[in-house]
Amino acid sequence: MISDRKPPSYVQLLETNNLIQQTSDSFYWLCLTRTVQESKLYPVSAYILLSYLNAFYRYPELLRKIETRMSAEDIGDRSRNMGVKLQNSHISSCLPAFYLLGREMLINWGMIRPQDAMDDVIYVLDFWKRFMLAWHRNSGYLTNTQAGQRGQILPNRRLEVFKADLYSCEPGDELQEAANAFMATASQYGFLVSCESRVSLTNSGPYRIDDNHEMLIRDFMDFAECSLPWLDGVAADVPYNNITVVMSVRDCHFHIVDEWGSFEAEPAFVAERLAGVGLYTSDPLTDGHQPIGMGSREELIQTLRSLNETVREATNRLWIRMADWSRETLLDAGALTYFSAVKELAHVAGVYEVSDWMEIDPRAARFRSVLNDDYANLFLGELVGGLTLSSQQRSPFTMAKLAERPVAMMTPLPYSVLAGEDYVPTCGPIQPGSTLLEPKQDRYRTSRGTITLAEYNRLAREFVPTECTEPHRFLCETWVKYNAASPQADELYRLTQRGSRNLEGRGCSMEIK
Amino acid sequence: MPRLYADRDRYPVRPENALVEATDAAIRDMVRSCVAASGRLHGETILGQLLDELVTADKVEAVERRILDSGYRFTWSSALSLRDRPDIYASEEARDNGSFSFEHEGAVVIDAEPGGRQQRGTGDNVTRTAANTIGTAMYLRTSEKVLDLMRNGVPADTVAVIDDSGGTLTAPILDRFKGVICAGGTIRSHLGILTREYGIPCLMNARVSGIRDGDTVEIESSAPARTAESYAAGVEMPARIWKLP
Repeated sequence: MISDRKPPSYVQLLETNNLIQQTSDSFYWLCLTRTVQESKLYPVSAYILLSYLNAFYRYPELLRKIETRMSAEDIGDRSRNMGVKLQNSHISSCLPAFYLLGREMLINWGMIRPQDAMDDVIYVLDFWKRFMLAWHRNSGYLTNTQAGQRGQILPNRRLEVFKADLYSCEPGDELQEAANAFMATASQYGFLVSCESRVSLTNSGPYRIDDNHEMLIRDFMDFAECSLPWLDGVAADVPYNNITVVMSVRDCHFHIVDEWGSFEAEPAFVAERLAGVGLYTSDPLTDGHQPIGMGSREELIQTLRSLNETVREATNRLWIRMADWSRETLLDAGALTYFSAVKELAHVAGVYEVSDWMEIDPRAARFRSVLNDDYANLFLGELVGGLTLSSQQRSPFTMAKLAERPVAMMTPLPYSVLAGEDYVPTCGPIQPGSTLLEPKQDRYRTSRGTITLAEYNRLAREFVPTECTEPHRFLCETWVKYNAASPQADELYRLTQRGSRNLEGRGCSMEIK
Repeated sequence: MPRLYADRDRYPVRPENALVEATDAAIRDMVRSCVAASGRLHGETILGQLLDELVTADKVEAVERRILDSGYRFTWSSALSLRDRPDIYASEEARDNGSFSFEHEGAVVIDAEPGGRQQRGTGDNVTRTAANTIGTAMYLRTSEKVLDLMRNGVPADTVAVIDDSGGTLTAPILDRFKGVICAGGTIRSHLGILTREYGIPCLMNARVSGIRDGDTVEIESSAPARTAESYAAGVEMPARIWKLP
């Protein structure tokens, strides 16, 4: 209640509203070139809307819970060094947008006012900002939109290893064929794992190699038995939960790598342009990216072929499982996939609980009955594409960025609370949720083997990647630029070079070409 | 009836779609009645978070009933929605065999081209290929059909005709198609992304007429690939679809 709380400061409101507007603009741009994603299998729009509501009611408390163990900026540092599922589409876009769109739905329905849940809104956006700035420390941009649709995140030392260890390939050779086949199969599986969404796939970069070559980092995530209950059993044979394909391409420029991890190239990227391949895994328990099958060219080809076959078989098993579900079960799975797009934050902090991330809060679930396919498709289209809901209208003098109309996707916080207008600070604690999905089996595939959740959380709490320990954590790119000859720089580079076929032990003094 | 905070909106608009307008109005009416039952003002119910207790799943279900009582039946997009709730969805069945054909408004049809080729529509080309793609049309609209093809195999040279721009329905068999005609989505939809990954010629956002199972079709996959910029600028880049004699 406002009466016994200190209101937020003017500066907090100013900054939060800037973050809301940035999210609004970037999400609108992302939706411009896409239609509402329909599926004959999944009720996609319906689950998206349910996930927005679940995010509104649950993210504030779950993020605060994560920060009892690790700050957002600490996790951002981990993400930059480790990869894993803390990527473009998940934190960059899903975290603020899903939360704020749930709020927008409830404002439109008359359930809340723009000033309600104000402390939550400020906190969620602040968490996002701190994570993003730490994760994007090397570029200094908050988002890919700010960076001109680029996601250049990794430090020089990691990129040197990726580049040096690439195996080159040519049109029609065995490696190019195996790599392209695996990436296609993995993309297909990823869409299925994440219930017709992009949550299991993302891309970052591009990184320049030379005038004719660029490097793109492709991440495939949640592929093995993990926190998604529908992978229990069907993905038991998938040996890695997260797989990173480093690929270099010739004679094409990735001019868009957006916040959903989609890329566009000019001229278009086609299979024949693949010029080099590297394969890695990482998770919250690995000390950086670990090479997979990178000992020799032949080993890499065989590894890609083997993974391709394993993933294809898992695809068939998972499809048969999902095709047998009811519409309401599909709705749960899709909503929980979207909602839990940021769940890796909890895994890294070692505070993951199934009931937090794999259940629908009753305050969200009560709206299920209006989320039929028809209303959900139309409402979602108006909410994120048309911007034609009442809450999204502005003064008629307004000419919105991109839309050129008096609209904005997301409602700002009103400053009137500083003049005494009442508000509700928070949506309150999460409530015991429910799901129609089969209970999650207590098996999690990690780089330390298949372990229980309790073990996973314990190991995550104990583990700090070496590059994130003092003093390495703050030896940044600017420092390296002026101190490359120092023993500390050598040590820092040697840490990243562990396991590298070509650079192990070389340190920072290697000649830069 | 008490006023909601949203009722004071200085710039109110009606949503573009009548169903959204009717449903949102019904939800707000339900909220108003909950506020009225509390005997308090709207803001006071939120402050005490009383609304979270008053707005129950039962009351939201009454919103759906109000829409259905008007005689309206929803349009389905997931075939499983129709299967599980046939009482609330319009009854057009998910058909993908026999005499069914897409008949899209605005489909560009030219009946007589030299050699007997008939243009039966257009679409957005995902990836440019050296030559056009020719194959046999097969509609795919249900998971039952996909399961059948998993068991019995996909016939050679199949050009799948789909109205699902997603990547899940056809997941187990997509790589076995010679080409894809998708009556939905854009080149950035999941199906567009996957066909590009697999190197399968594909036209998205297709508008077609008169193509049936078993027809020999040619898709103009040699046309320039549609760009994201063209979508943003609203510039069409149609690739053609023909039925061959």
